[in-house]
Amino acid sequence: MDYDVIVVGGGHAGIEASLAAARTGFRTLMVTQSLDTIGRLSCNPAIGGLAKGNIVREVDAMGGQMGKLIDATLVQYRVLNRRRGPAVQAPRAQADKFSYSRLAKETLEHQQNLTLFMDTVVGLLVEPDGRTVCGITTGRGNRISSKAVVVTTGTFMDGRIFIGEYDAAEGRLGEEGAFGLGDCLRRMGLETARLKTGTCARVDSRSLDFSKMERQDGDDPIEPFSFENHVNSRVQVPCWITYTNERTHKIIFDNISRSPLYGGKIVGKGPRYCPSIEDKVVRFSQRDRHQIFVEPEGSGTVEMYLNGLSSSLPEDVQNDFIHSVEGLENALVMRPAYAVEYDFVFPTQLKLSLECKKYDNLFFAGQTNGTSGYEEAACQGLIAGINAVQKIRGEQPLVISRTEAYTGVLIDDLVTKGTKEPYRMFTSRAEYRLNLRHDTCDLRLTPKAAAFGLCSEQRMANLEKKIDLISDLKQCLLHSKTGGMNAVQALKHPEIDLDKIKDDVPELMNYPEEIRNIVQQDIKYEGYIKREDRQVERFDKLDNLIIPPDFDYRAMEGLSQESREKLEKIAPSNIGQASRISGVRTSDIALLMVYLRRRNG
Amino acid sequence: MKSYVSDDMIFALATCVGKSALAVFRVSGEGSIASFASCFSKPERLLAAKTNTLVYGTVTGVDDVVVSVYRKGHGYTGEEALEISCHGSLASISLMNEKLSQLGFRQAEPGEFTFRAFLSGKIDLTQAEAVNEIARSQSRLSQTLALERLGGALSARIHRNRDLLADAMSVIEVQLDYAEDEIGGDTSFPFDEITDARDDLAKLADTFRTGSLIGQGAKIVLAGAANAGKSSLFNLFLKTDRSIVSAVPGTTRDFIESNCEIAGINVRLFDTAGLRTAGEEIEAEGIKRTKALMRSSDLLLYLVDSSDPEDGYESISERLEKEIPGVEKLFVWNKTDLPSAFEMPEGFIELSVDSAEGFEALVSGIVSSLGMVSDSNGCELLIESPRQHRSLVESVRSLDSVLSLAREEECLDIISVEMKEALDQLGYICGELTSDDVLDRIFSSFCVGK
Repeated sequence: MDYDVIVVGGGHAGIEASLAAARTGFRTLMVTQSLDTIGRLSCNPAIGGLAKGNIVREVDAMGGQMGKLIDATLVQYRVLNRRRGPAVQAPRAQADKFSYSRLAKETLEHQQNLTLFMDTVVGLLVEPDGRTVCGITTGRGNRISSKAVVVTTGTFMDGRIFIGEYDAAEGRLGEEGAFGLGDCLRRMGLETARLKTGTCARVDSRSLDFSKMERQDGDDPIEPFSFENHVNSRVQVPCWITYTNERTHKIIFDNISRSPLYGGKIVGKGPRYCPSIEDKVVRFSQRDRHQIFVEPEGSGTVEMYLNGLSSSLPEDVQNDFIHSVEGLENALVMRPAYAVEYDFVFPTQLKLSLECKKYDNLFFAGQTNGTSGYEEAACQGLIAGINAVQKIRGEQPLVISRTEAYTGVLIDDLVTKGTKEPYRMFTSRAEYRLNLRHDTCDLRLTPKAAAFGLCSEQRMANLEKKIDLISDLKQCLLHSKTGGMNAVQALKHPEIDLDKIKDDVPELMNYPEEIRNIVQQDIKYEGYIKREDRQVERFDKLDNLIIPPDFDYRAMEGLSQESREKLEKIAPSNIGQASRISGVRTSDIALLMVYLRRRNG
Repeated sequence: MKSYVSDDMIFALATCVGKSALAVFRVSGEGSIASFASCFSKPERLLAAKTNTLVYGTVTGVDDVVVSVYRKGHGYTGEEALEISCHGSLASISLMNEKLSQLGFRQAEPGEFTFRAFLSGKIDLTQAEAVNEIARSQSRLSQTLALERLGGALSARIHRNRDLLADAMSVIEVQLDYAEDEIGGDTSFPFDEITDARDDLAKLADTFRTGSLIGQGAKIVLAGAANAGKSSLFNLFLKTDRSIVSAVPGTTRDFIESNCEIAGINVRLFDTAGLRTAGEEIEAEGIKRTKALMRSSDLLLYLVDSSDPEDGYESISERLEKEIPGVEKLFVWNKTDLPSAFEMPEGFIELSVDSAEGFEALVSGIVSSLGMVSDSNGCELLIESPRQHRSLVESVRSLDSVLSLAREEECLDIISVEMKEALDQLGYICGELTSDDVLDRIFSSFCVGK
């Protein structure tokens, strides 16, 4: 064996998968088409946002890299929804995308046990048993063997970009797509289909009139994404907000036939929630304006990203509609917006471990599985990397529950329900959001990472200290008086926060801000957290009823045909997962429970 | 459920053990028809029989029988099944029992047929419970109401409210998917939809008392001073001469119990010892037990002899409220056929037990005291399962807190926790989110053969 683990691709999933495998001591090879584009932020120059920010912190809590990369390279930081409840607050940062990518490559280069290699993977090697994957073949004819392979091809597998009438066999503007692997997977009997996503134009900041836009500044100080970094302050740059108008919409309408989306050239389905401007204009025709964020691509460049104007219309139309927007009248386009269509693998062919059901030791992660977004890719990469290693070790895979992390929600949704459009994480996809707060990811997940060797002793010690501080502060509040009651009771009043009682409880200020914030949220929402905990208990009850992997649905009398087909295809790991498969009848779930009981005696 | 399996053949006697004209056995499970055909006088007829048809024949050495045939997908369980009618003698029953066991049928557990119907998707959980309620029902009214639930009326009503709430939930959730500074503007909170569902569910939850009174029978206790006419009223209700009626006070010691139907409602009626200052020890004990009985009743009928009312009869209601608080009470001004020097106090119902004058008014007073409208003859949907009631109450409680939190402008992510609880609870009622231990409890309360 040349390597223990081969990771195909150097995007956000590939980075986490490679690091997770190498850090646990396994010889790992990352193969990528270009060593110069590792960790690229191909779309918007930002990490985080609602639910996505939580995922970044989950990845960090489990020993991943994304949080540290963005902390080191951010140029603006904000916590979204500060005025809303604890479950929907989330951090978001603008990145200097060039520094981000460079730091990602540097981190990989300095990682022990990890080798980087530039080549295009065109096929997989399979053992004579016909079901164990054992390496890769490349475009230049290299055959490299390994115990496990993680495929993270992003938008490159059979990628094709579109700008109006122009199209090219590329995975990103100016970068060749990856051809061969998709055909190989199909020959191996895996199902793939096409998805579409798009990105926005970049314009020269010197050609913009910022006086006509709203300015949006970052928060100061910033609370880092990584639990290993601490609250700090740094120079930040602003973002700008402007709007499309009726003239913009008319230009788009008049030229809609020139869009490959509407002309039938693109067959892949695009994301419903992050649609192109032509989609927005057509589908929400009653709206007279759409918001555009003008975001810096970095601190060392004049390129600005027009967030909200993703398009695949021809360049002359793009120029026209961009110039119709206030503040962008003279905008000089440096890179046009474009759409990209690519192959994805039906994620219902995967287990909750992200291993392929049909082939042992073959894992898939990231956009290849039908997701959209850097964060969604990163968390899958991390889990796939960990589980590739677990497979080699012959140990149980790491499966994160829906009740523990957005990562768990994402993977469960993908492998249980599949997706027909690029899957983006949303707050509303999770059932138990108070449990998934971003500020407590480490409390839930870091101990798990420790069990897989992805967390240093120092980090565990720090975590224990943090847990102690939280409980100390709660005790301290319980025994402090303010306004005739103890401080815990006082905090339950909506108008009272820790800041208001700090004169009565001066010890408070001995605790770090991070601890104070957690304790405040815990106390304020205690009743709801408890209620949700009970809901989680009921949920877990069904998720803890394990269905053995060799369970034979054909031997079950009385199962409806539709349910049987679906259960066989998805092969759920537990009753809870089975009940989430769409189209499986309630009564069939009850029947399944009866059979399992009997089987377990 | 532990002992339920669902791929073997089961049988049970569906009628009572005892001498009667007919006895009916029920068998169900894949292969039932072929197995039974092996002991049947006309096997080819049975094997060829279409679903929902009758086949007449003999089970050798057992009895002549009529067999109703149900093919898979038809009949009660949704499985291949037979109903076998034989003669209702103890001998026939025991021979048939033996025969079916020999053929490889297993004696069914209580509720197992219904459980199979549930598993095959023929009925949902509320309907399964209705089956049990029908089996237990002791009055015409309770039977009618349970039949309505079996027909899916309860499920339909729960689903309607659940859909309403799910829509409201999606209005809330969609706002959570956007940051506060993103466009879209805050959509207004769906107060109306949630309030409508809440009120309808609360109304349904409120039917539980009535529903369970109808289902399990109401406990009505007759009380009053010695010789106030309690036993006569008791007999009037029963229309039979069950207790001893005499003119000597204190004849009925302790109490006498009987079942009867009042306005279609099954009633357990109790006639008690007169509440008199204890003259002898044995009567003191009786009074103590009478009071305990009164406290546990659904309705207390307190009789006063209008021709010879006890002292302070005007304040009887106050005194009783203190002694037996929280129990529904009706006060009866009895013996109005006799001359009286006293005026009837407010809130009493006039009655002459002897002439039965005022009896109808008393009956309708009873009906309304039990929380029923006098014409509740099945047109209104009622619930009688404590499990359903609990979930409804929980759901209404959660919706109340959703509404009050929304009025206080609490964050939507917090409100949605309560909203989810309300939806979950409704899901439990129809068995959509039910874990196996809950199913266990439900089906284990069934009788065999159901």
